[in-house]
Amino acid sequence: MNAIEIRDLSKSFRGMYALDHLNMTVPVGAIYGFIGENGSGKSTTEKLICGHLVPDGGSIKLFGKDYTDSGVRVRVGALIENAGCFPNSSVWMNLMMQAINLNLENREEETRRVLKIVRMEDSSKIKFKSCSLGMKQRIGIAMALLGSPALLILDEPINGLDADGMRIMREILVDITKNYGCTVVIASHLLGELEKIATHYGIIRQGKMIQELSAEEMDGRSQVFASIKTKDMQGAKIILKTKFDNVSEAEGYLRVYDEDDTGSIVGHLLKNGHVVSEISKNKVGLEEYYIELMQAKEGN
Amino acid sequence: MVAGNELKFESPRFFTRIKSMLGVDFYRLFHTPLFYIFLLIAAFIPALILGSGGMENPDGTTSALLYTNVWNAVAANMPLYAFSNIGEYANMNMVFIFGGIMVSIFIGHDYKSGYVKQLFTTHAKKQDYMISKSITCAFAMACMCITYLLGSVAGGLFAGLDFSANVGSLIIAIASKMIMSLGWASLYTFLNVIFRRYFGISIASSFLFGTGLPIIAIGMIFGNEAGSVLNIFLYGSSVYACLGSNIVTLIVCLVVSAAWAAIYNMLGTKLLSKSDVY
Repeated sequence: MNAIEIRDLSKSFRGMYALDHLNMTVPVGAIYGFIGENGSGKSTTEKLICGHLVPDGGSIKLFGKDYTDSGVRVRVGALIENAGCFPNSSVWMNLMMQAINLNLENREEETRRVLKIVRMEDSSKIKFKSCSLGMKQRIGIAMALLGSPALLILDEPINGLDADGMRIMREILVDITKNYGCTVVIASHLLGELEKIATHYGIIRQGKMIQELSAEEMDGRSQVFASIKTKDMQGAKIILKTKFDNVSEAEGYLRVYDEDDTGSIVGHLLKNGHVVSEISKNKVGLEEYYIELMQAKEGN
Repeated sequence: MVAGNELKFESPRFFTRIKSMLGVDFYRLFHTPLFYIFLLIAAFIPALILGSGGMENPDGTTSALLYTNVWNAVAANMPLYAFSNIGEYANMNMVFIFGGIMVSIFIGHDYKSGYVKQLFTTHAKKQDYMISKSITCAFAMACMCITYLLGSVAGGLFAGLDFSANVGSLIIAIASKMIMSLGWASLYTFLNVIFRRYFGISIASSFLFGTGLPIIAIGMIFGNEAGSVLNIFLYGSSVYACLGSNIVTLIVCLVVSAAWAAIYNMLGTKLLSKSDVY
């Protein structure tokens, strides 16, 4: 059983397709990194899953049931765009309202529990409007976490946060997924951050899912490369090309792809009169993989 | 998977769903100043109208009494769909005008704050929202009827007005108007769902319907004799609840209020189900 199974989902706004027959599969227990450029349809997909938008066509199944099933939806927590809190009410009151909304029996205990998870036990009396952006995002996560959700839908939960806020949020997200065992969908632009926690990825472009893969598959597809710096970069590039198939230049370094043995690279360069000042082993990350994929799609 | 997060999905029953949604709305109603401000407004207006009648103006003249009997501030002596002076119009029905504004603000904040997203994420059935808002806002308006009554009594005592009335008819009139709150609240909820993206238009439309202008216009054209037909409308029935009320009035108000509440809830549910939340 998958946590989310979307088939041929379409949604248009004033005749413009935001989602075009999108397919998406999120396994139970996954941390699904949902990636795409601005306006690619990430938020629209999340809003459709949460029932905020009405689809033009297609189907959405959550844990094998239709997404309109009340039993499933009551176990969905969401943070989409903002926390959805009343600005003049306190953090505590906002969480209590959500606890009542979810018909939780031990509301106060539950509210304290989620406040602890997001490290805001001491800030519950503050009015929501007085909270910082980072605090608001954490309150949004707390709202979504009430009632032990089976599925968490998070839209850019780390956007706009400072470095410390980002670190806290990342720790919270890891804590949620490790210790509370729910399936999480995170739409984010911050691929470096996403790479640290995601177990699966979905890459969306112009309303279509162009690739879905697990972190292991991603790892397998990621090319290893050696980054090299020499005095004469152009001369070294020509020399390297005589022995290695895939050599390029990026970000001020020469890159030799699919070559694990840095010794043979250094040896070859030395033999041809080039002294290596810097060399390191690297792997193509999510960000580079994504950029390459997007460039390939644009080329098509 | 941790024990607290098993994959069991039991669909909550209708009453459980409504209970939780009502719980949120009542919690919010009682914990925010809006409700109390409108209760005070509802008390203050009749107290001001009655209390200031007959008082000496700065220029030495005396302001005219709008009412000689305090209960005319609550309801007219007879159903007056078309009126000849403001005293025949300005009674407890004004609660439905303030009530409309209160409902617009109450529901508008759901959308403005984004809290509606939390509600619709966890409540798949849109009828829960319509029913809950209608009941909560009807309760708020019924409470406003009570503070309006208290304000009238206070103003009447201050101005030394006549308190004589047929107690039975008076109680039925007040009870009937309170019952009408349900129909009015459902109308306002529906209007606010239609204009959910436009807060100002929501308030303006609630105000327009609350004043009863469309019914008053028909009353003006066809005269008060058209009353029995106009009673099928919310404003008509609200006017029908007068100081000459009897048990038939109560039944008419009950049926009309319940029928319109059902219609507006059904239409609102349909609209929410077929359109995007925001």
